[in-house]
Amino acid sequence: MNDSVAIVDGGFQVSVKASAVGRFWAAFFFLTAVIAVGISWVSPSMGWWFPGDGVAHSKLGREIDDLFHLILVIVSVTFIGTQVALGYVLWRGATIKPEEKALFSHGSHTLEVIWTIVPSGILLFIALYQMEVWAQYRMIKSSPKSTEPIAEVTARQFEWRIRYPARGKVLKADPQPDDVYTVNELHVPTGRSVSISLKTEDVQHSFFVPELRVKQDAVPGNTIPVWFTVTDPRMYEMVCAELCGWGHYKMKARVFAESDEDFDAWKARIAAEQFEDGFKKAAEAE
Amino acid sequence: MAVGFAVLLTVGCGQGPQAQFSVRDTTEELLSPAQKAVKKALDDGFGTPHELVAWQRLPVNYGGVHGAVGEVLADGKGITAKWEGDAAGVTAGAPLLWISGARAAESTSVDSVGSFDAKTKTLTWSGAAEPAPAAGDKLVIGFGQTLKTGRMVYMKNCMHCHGVAGDGAGPTAKYLNPLPRDYRSGVFKFTSTLTPEKPTRDDLTRVVKYGIPGTYMPSFLWLGGKETESVVEYVRWLSMRGEFEKRLDDDLSGDFSQKAIEESAEKALAEFKAAKADEKPEKPRSAGDLKKEAVAKFTNETDGYEKTEFPGVIDDTANFLAQGWTHGEDPESLILPSVPRVPDDAASRERGRRMYLSDKGKCYTCHGIQGRGDGAATEDFWKKPGSDEVYERRGLHDAWGHPLMPRNLTLGQYRGGRRPLDVFRRIYAGIKGTPMPGFGRTALKDEEIWDVVNFVMSLQYQSAPAPAKPAEHVAESK
Repeated sequence: MNDSVAIVDGGFQVSVKASAVGRFWAAFFFLTAVIAVGISWVSPSMGWWFPGDGVAHSKLGREIDDLFHLILVIVSVTFIGTQVALGYVLWRGATIKPEEKALFSHGSHTLEVIWTIVPSGILLFIALYQMEVWAQYRMIKSSPKSTEPIAEVTARQFEWRIRYPARGKVLKADPQPDDVYTVNELHVPTGRSVSISLKTEDVQHSFFVPELRVKQDAVPGNTIPVWFTVTDPRMYEMVCAELCGWGHYKMKARVFAESDEDFDAWKARIAAEQFEDGFKKAAEAE
Repeated sequence: MAVGFAVLLTVGCGQGPQAQFSVRDTTEELLSPAQKAVKKALDDGFGTPHELVAWQRLPVNYGGVHGAVGEVLADGKGITAKWEGDAAGVTAGAPLLWISGARAAESTSVDSVGSFDAKTKTLTWSGAAEPAPAAGDKLVIGFGQTLKTGRMVYMKNCMHCHGVAGDGAGPTAKYLNPLPRDYRSGVFKFTSTLTPEKPTRDDLTRVVKYGIPGTYMPSFLWLGGKETESVVEYVRWLSMRGEFEKRLDDDLSGDFSQKAIEESAEKALAEFKAAKADEKPEKPRSAGDLKKEAVAKFTNETDGYEKTEFPGVIDDTANFLAQGWTHGEDPESLILPSVPRVPDDAASRERGRRMYLSDKGKCYTCHGIQGRGDGAATEDFWKKPGSDEVYERRGLHDAWGHPLMPRNLTLGQYRGGRRPLDVFRRIYAGIKGTPMPGFGRTALKDEEIWDVVNFVMSLQYQSAPAPAKPAEHVAESK
């Protein structure tokens, strides 16, 4: 059997070793796709998936995850479909008999129209479908009406300095005498929509709480509101997600989501500590 | 090509230079035998960054599990005994340090934990069989663990600014303003103790945990309890090491400093040249001669300084440091106000403002009439301490010789903490190593300090003052 085939292309004769090499590449590209799908399939069970326990702990975060899953399904179907087609075409080309005639589809108007319209349709669908979530995430008009500003978070090289209004007071843009302060420790109440005013003292930073699916750049000169509704009272990691200098890795902080009572009790405690005058201690020591 | 690529990939990898404790300039200026003696004393007392020495005379919590020997069991498999102490932290291979009993006297034996059964609390150790321990002998397992952990944390997070020896000259230090603290003088700025006292562990822990706003010292709140505790201990130890070196240098630099000898020889020569011929003064001796003489005086086999006096100096310095750092932790060194904070009302602030502008407080001379840190003192040329020379730059300087701006009190930035207690302490005891003096005990009563605290803490919230005639404010207070 003849194992090479001559293709006449533009007057030049190109000799292609058809059998072994061609089959190898067909198998190679097909297997690559199979391995990629396999790894993705086992990822969630191996802990190579979403941060923390794999579940979003904010209301909007769940919707963002749903969007992610929807897009994942769409791209998975597309990926598997195109890889199977690619594998088939490669295999078919590698095993083609010399006497068989190749089918030329190049320049097919119908095909071009199909693969322009189908992806456009999919993209348009995604663009329209995610609009609501995007608006809720980024547009003040669509933010929950009852959102309460709870703190001003100021990033600086290389820490987060946080200012809260006193118990029962409203957060003001300018510091107030009874404000309370923490560093690298953001306390928030759970179950209702709250917001922070994000600022930076020096360069760009980014406020990122992976388990809440909240990420927002802090831009010099701007005060940017970031709102979210934490669903579970727990501790969450909070990091800087914008390379901000040599100490970027030090900007590790924590978010403590608490019930309203605990949040209130914490604020009372921290305020007492902050307005400590040392006299009671002196009395105790004696 | 592949080789070239591999080489390119690994450029910059591999072992860096070994970490070393830097040596003070004043040590470098000593005559070589004196320099060697100081370095040897440092090596004996503190070791190197790779081989730390835990000098037990210093009040450092070096770490380890303290306990005692219970019943001694003889089962033929080495030395076995019941362990009376915490089971956590006892691991096979951990070094064992005897504190009392026959084995403590035998300083040569190096013991380590062979095996440990946590359930029965049975401990087997390796080491010489004799002398046998007795029930009740005290020992520490894993001695030095805290210092080791501290070194690890320090090298990872602190060294690049504060330097291996705590000299504030790490590789990133030169990019910072203000410069990172040089611990080697044993002086820390933000403390809760009286003016001459060392900081407490709590003070250093607060700085590590909450950082210093307005400087590059960030918060290390999430380092973890054990790591924070260890790094604080390590910084205390580094500070003791630095001050030990400084004090030895101070002792030796009078007689055994190359620089001092050269300078005095030059001066004498200049005087000789300036003298008139008919006075016929004796030709002064050369610096080389003087140095030789000083070296002989230091190294003499029978009555040389190194043999006779220096061991005593080392001893006294260690005692001095131990006392200082122990006394810092003493409750009586802690500043606590004798009266509660005076209610923060308009009247108190007004009293505080008058005190701020008075000749008794004189706060305005540095911090400015409006509290903006632009007082007249920032325009003066100040003398260097202990000399007639003035600093090259206008304005105040700290004990490390760096220019220093008085705090702008209108920013609401509190480097030493924003609790009223912190501000009270700043005014009561001043800020160590800076021209900020302490007003407590002598100049101001505690009530008066509280008035000033109330005034100072209100400055941030005042609306920008109208461009009035500042002279008026001064006139009012008189």
